[in-house]
Amino acid sequence: MDARSRSVACTIVLALAFVCALPVQAWGLTTNKATAKPNEDGGSEVIGGLPTRLTWEGTVEEGEKVSSIHLEIPADGSFAESTTKVTALEGLSRAPVESEVSADKNTLTVSFGEPIGEGLLIRLEIYNMTLPSTGGDVVVSGTYQNQDGEQKLKDSDPPIKTIANTPLQSMVNWLDNQEWVKQWNANQFLGMFLKPQLILTSLSSLFPGWLLCLGIVIASYPFAILLGLVFALMKISRHRLVRAIAIIYINTLRGTPLFLQIYIMFFGLPMMNINIDNNVLGIIVMAINSSAYLAEIFRAGIESIPQGQYEAAASLGMGHLQTMVNIILPQTIRRVIPTVTSDFIMAFKDTSLLSSVGVMELMMFSKNLTSVTGNMTPYVTAAIFYLIVTLPLIKVVSTIEKRIAKSERGGGPRPKAKAKKAEVAVVDGQAVGAEPSLVEALSAPFKAGTSVMGGTASVR
Amino acid sequence: MFDKAKARVEARQEARRVPPALDAEVAAAQAHERDKGLTKHSFEPHEHPCVRIEHLMKTFDGETQVLTDVNLTVWPGEVVCVLGPSGSGKSTMLRCINLLETPTAGHILIEDNEITGHLGTREVNKLRQNLGMVFQSFNLFPHLSAKGNVMIGQTKVLKKSKAEAEAEALKQLEAVGLLDRADFKPAQLSGGQQQRVAIARAVAMHPDVLLFDEPTSALDPELVRGVLDVMRDLAENGGMTMIVVTHEMGFAREVADRVVFMEGGVVVEQGKPEDVFDHPQHARTAEFLGSIK
Repeated sequence: MDARSRSVACTIVLALAFVCALPVQAWGLTTNKATAKPNEDGGSEVIGGLPTRLTWEGTVEEGEKVSSIHLEIPADGSFAESTTKVTALEGLSRAPVESEVSADKNTLTVSFGEPIGEGLLIRLEIYNMTLPSTGGDVVVSGTYQNQDGEQKLKDSDPPIKTIANTPLQSMVNWLDNQEWVKQWNANQFLGMFLKPQLILTSLSSLFPGWLLCLGIVIASYPFAILLGLVFALMKISRHRLVRAIAIIYINTLRGTPLFLQIYIMFFGLPMMNINIDNNVLGIIVMAINSSAYLAEIFRAGIESIPQGQYEAAASLGMGHLQTMVNIILPQTIRRVIPTVTSDFIMAFKDTSLLSSVGVMELMMFSKNLTSVTGNMTPYVTAAIFYLIVTLPLIKVVSTIEKRIAKSERGGGPRPKAKAKKAEVAVVDGQAVGAEPSLVEALSAPFKAGTSVMGGTASVR
Repeated sequence: MFDKAKARVEARQEARRVPPALDAEVAAAQAHERDKGLTKHSFEPHEHPCVRIEHLMKTFDGETQVLTDVNLTVWPGEVVCVLGPSGSGKSTMLRCINLLETPTAGHILIEDNEITGHLGTREVNKLRQNLGMVFQSFNLFPHLSAKGNVMIGQTKVLKKSKAEAEAEALKQLEAVGLLDRADFKPAQLSGGQQQRVAIARAVAMHPDVLLFDEPTSALDPELVRGVLDVMRDLAENGGMTMIVVTHEMGFAREVADRVVFMEGGVVVEQGKPEDVFDHPQHARTAEFLGSIK
């Protein structure tokens, strides 16, 4: 039992106790409840600014005769177009009631021809009224007339929870009324997979899931790259033990499904009383999994650099670390960018597996929405969300690959040879950086005219 | 598998038979005596050779013997051209001097300091700073511009400031006639231009000795001249000590102080260019030179 239902129960119990134990003291018309029926488009929610049905019930107390009831809702709501059904109940049987209803903006007055006597339950069902479009908790207040004059009505409790009528909601409403939408949805396939209203609502409700997917993969990737690089260097180490550790790590992770790794981490760690936030654990699992693949990519990249590059660096007197940092890795980075991007795409898609352990990501949201609506459209919308990220990246990969192929042939625009002379003059005064920064190294494949090709293989 | 191991053991036993390196004074005196008539280079009476190779032996995988017994001295400022058929061990000898190959046995001494044996990596790096190397396949760093290639050794190894390194780089690029290509990437340069950048890169470190490993072999014939001109300029005006493994007979004849002919892992014959080219003493030298002509 969650907190809200508990408080509701408490309120009811208290109200009952109040009514039963102290009937004389509680002299006055008691507001039993005020509820609103969920609108057609809101699922289980009441949306403000849209026609709904407000039900108000109150019990007339002992020795009281109610001649009129005046209800009031916040200014933004409206009774203007409403029709009201008035019922008076005595026990389970309906008592005859004569009434006159006058509605004015956010107030509604019901006058009874014959004052309503004690013990009767008055029920007002107000059709086609609207609650404030700003959403939030709405309290129905008001006054009533009894034989002693005007009395204040107790505010309705609990308040009516409403959600704001967003532009999105109004668009959905607009779609609802379009003839083409009705015809579109009449088609079994289109209505099941591409229902326009659901595409709209899915886009908004899946968005947080999409953000979480992106967040997880973006947060995990730097760690994956770092770990991958470490294990790549370990795998080409001269020490057998270091190599063995790297090989075991890489092969185990590459040789088992990510799904299994997720299960082991998400269910295994809590068993050992290690409790990590789901999203953080998701980032960790994704980082570890990707690092194994990246390690192999980096290793292949490093090994693809010709031996001559090591020899040239050595002949300048560079140490192993200097050679790696200044010569080998900058070239490796360029070479592996397409493959790493492909792996990033894979990792992004693989975050969907985290839905199986309750991470509220894109897949989870679409699964929930589909089970609520019984429609496939949220899944299709999820596909759109994945494609928004992956399609541009796929394009990027192929562009970089073309650029690399071109620059390996020495193509692309050349720097202007003439501009040189001016720069030579400046040299003595100020340093003109010629060393590639990391940013330059990373962006190089995106620019034309940079080479990623090593010299030809060395000859012994 | 056992054969290989056995061969390795034998190679090591063979290595023990190599006599220890000579004392500096003794070696210098011997070298003076030997090289007097063999080189055009004029050396001082008490000068010591800057590179001394004694009984150098190199075996690959314990079985392929590339260098059998190489003996050679090189004097400061001398230009030595090493000729010989392919497989004669020229390149291997050159790479041994730079420790790109580890000698199996024998001694190499730079400025009378022995570099063979167990040098630490730091000492090896220090040594290589003083030995410039130009490769057959250029081996420029493709991610750096021509200027960047010449600068990186200066900034990272010699720890020069960027401004200093850049000034030096532009000076060296100007010397090889490529100042206007300073910002070009290696892939945008012709082979000849790349090799000239590689020479500038080696020279910018101001090494004691420059090693050239067939610097023009990978070039189209029309590009060879530019590279040779740069090397000639270095030899004649720069006073650089150079050991050049080459097939360019014309260059060897004109520029070299001494020509060394190698075959089968030994120095077969050496002498002044005109002596070796015009009056070869060994039948194999004559045969080789005949086949080249």
